[in-house]
Amino acid sequence: MKEHAPVLIVVFPIMFAFITPLLGWIRKSLCYPWVILALSLSTICSLITLEEVMTGGVIHYYLGSWLPPWGIEYVVDHLNAMMLVIVSGAALLVAIYSRRSIEAELPGKMVYFYTIFLLQTTGFLGIVVTGDMFNLYVFLEIASLAGYTLIAIGEDGAPLASFRYIIMGTVGACFYLLGVGYLYMVTGSLNMADLATIIPLISDSKVVLTAFAFFMAGIAIKMALFPLHVWLPDAYTRAPSTSSALIAPLMTKISVYVMIRIFFTVFNPSFTVDVLPATDILLWLGTIAIFGGAIMALAQTDFKRMLCYIVVAEVGYMVGGIGVANSIAMQGAVLHLLNDAVMTLGLFIVAGIVTYQMKGHLLSDFNALFRKMPLTMVTFVVVALSVIGVPPTCGFFSKWYLLQGGIMAGAWGFVVALLLSSLINIILFFRIFELGYVFQSDGSHHDHGHGGFIHEAPASMLLPSVVVALGILAIGIYNQVIINNIITYVIPKF
Amino acid sequence: MKALNLLIVFLTGALLIYGTLDMPDFGDPNSPASLHVSPEYLQNIIQDTATPNAVTSLLADYRGYDTMGETTVIFTAGIACILLLRTMRKE
Amino acid sequence: MIELIAGKYNYWIYIILMMIGFYAMIGKRNMVKKVIGMNIFQTSIILFYISIAFKKGATLPIIRETADHVAAAVEVSQYINPLPHVLMLTAIVVMVATLGVAIAILILIYRRYGTLEEDEILKKVKS
Repeated sequence: MKEHAPVLIVVFPIMFAFITPLLGWIRKSLCYPWVILALSLSTICSLITLEEVMTGGVIHYYLGSWLPPWGIEYVVDHLNAMMLVIVSGAALLVAIYSRRSIEAELPGKMVYFYTIFLLQTTGFLGIVVTGDMFNLYVFLEIASLAGYTLIAIGEDGAPLASFRYIIMGTVGACFYLLGVGYLYMVTGSLNMADLATIIPLISDSKVVLTAFAFFMAGIAIKMALFPLHVWLPDAYTRAPSTSSALIAPLMTKISVYVMIRIFFTVFNPSFTVDVLPATDILLWLGTIAIFGGAIMALAQTDFKRMLCYIVVAEVGYMVGGIGVANSIAMQGAVLHLLNDAVMTLGLFIVAGIVTYQMKGHLLSDFNALFRKMPLTMVTFVVVALSVIGVPPTCGFFSKWYLLQGGIMAGAWGFVVALLLSSLINIILFFRIFELGYVFQSDGSHHDHGHGGFIHEAPASMLLPSVVVALGILAIGIYNQVIINNIITYVIPKF
Repeated sequence: MKALNLLIVFLTGALLIYGTLDMPDFGDPNSPASLHVSPEYLQNIIQDTATPNAVTSLLADYRGYDTMGETTVIFTAGIACILLLRTMRKE
Repeated sequence: MIELIAGKYNYWIYIILMMIGFYAMIGKRNMVKKVIGMNIFQTSIILFYISIAFKKGATLPIIRETADHVAAAVEVSQYINPLPHVLMLTAIVVMVATLGVAIAILILIYRRYGTLEEDEILKKVKS
């Protein structure tokens, strides 16, 4: 059974998703344990896969026992295995958190919501684990369709935000498909490893250059790279709390993973860095994204919208780190994939808890919250310190490696952007800490609901946020272990 | 604003047409796409899958996993329409 | 020059079709027109892939078999390439599913705002 673990990671959510509507028809309250069971099985399989990759090297799994390039294959190396654990673990935590939130925000839609939830997770897992270009497109579309739906059922203004996301997301996926078509036309193969052997022989063909450009454009739209980020703030703000907690930590990081795969595994590193100035463009776009995201975040009065602009800036960190194109910055960028997923998950879970208690997610809803919800606020403080970059939280270490790499390569714009955004993050979060500690006794705070008595969050919502806070501290303290055992194998030879 | 949209469309179209200059000709039987993976498909489908139709055998056997993904896409769209459009009766 | 056009004219026609659809997606203010543009864009990509599979003078990829599942000798340049057709069967299904979800969201928008023009909706949201 263990040798089928890579495919079981994807098969469990799909099969469980097909049965969920039947189960909900019998009895609605069965859906929540069913979803937790599906995601727990998937997480266990991804942990088994990670352990096998760490001891045995890269796993090749042939679907249907057809040899590549005639059949589809799953290739799991260290980067993949780490991403699989991140995606399935984050989905499990959001599922545990989701019950009270769905009861409050989407009454009566629980059964179908959990079906789409499982399908969204399937899409994400399928993108991460595959080694075939067209299979990636199919699972990208599963994830995209589920995402459009999960966002459109939110509060007022959500369908409009989701429609803009549909238009931009479809353009991105179609550009990716065009890139696959152009590459297929001159190589004849769809398998990533096979393409990696054929492309160096034809690397001065105009078709290959055009395919590369369209991959970059399509993935940049999905990744919300500045200036193509305009779909992100509205979409993640108006979505229900559970949807934004699931999609926000994962979609952009998975797109960064796809970019690393295409730039360094399909096209080899010398093509990306030397033949085309691709990494220079990425460095500039990343720097501009950090500045743009940080400055726009300062101007927001809505907490979730501020988080969305922080996400845009974090994408800038990763893209800039890849653009610097030396080993230490790449190490920082891949470690930041892990860190940013965990940090964004924590931030959006806290936002969801605040929305559940205060029925709103403006900054002014944080008034005097430290006294009323102490444990939630402690986890919020840990996550905020990690976003700022304070040791020993994990955010400090990835920023440190990115800074080191930037200084070594002389990318001074990137270094200045990193330091400036840390300062701006300090301002952003300490504003909230001040609001939370000081009680505005002149009655100027809005009393949305609960008749004024706010208590601590329910246990099913509190448990994931505590796990995330402990995880941030653990990743920070043990980051050298993670780097030595997993990340060093991921860095391409520049 | 219209000028910006037209500019983006022209640039994209120009880049795509620039890419076609090195492409194999229309209908060329010696293009890389026809020589690398598909000859083995055409030669082996009878003994591997006992189906004379190559497209069927590829869709259902060699790349059957993509077909499962496609079925999942249809299912997702169906459940999405229920989730979005069905108005709950007020109890 | 003539060989260039004679060899590549099909790709250029499909690229022009793609750009018509792309302009409709980003340039038009009416949301239904944007969805129609999305449909044109995706359809032209499908046609583009199909034109990769064509070989001059070739026929459909259905192999004639003799008795006992033994194939007659296969001359590969007589049959068109089956792989892009298979990929595009999946892409057509994805296109239809995306169209369905987009129109469902348009219905939600219409129920809420009463119009499907983007500038009118922005005016309503701002006020």
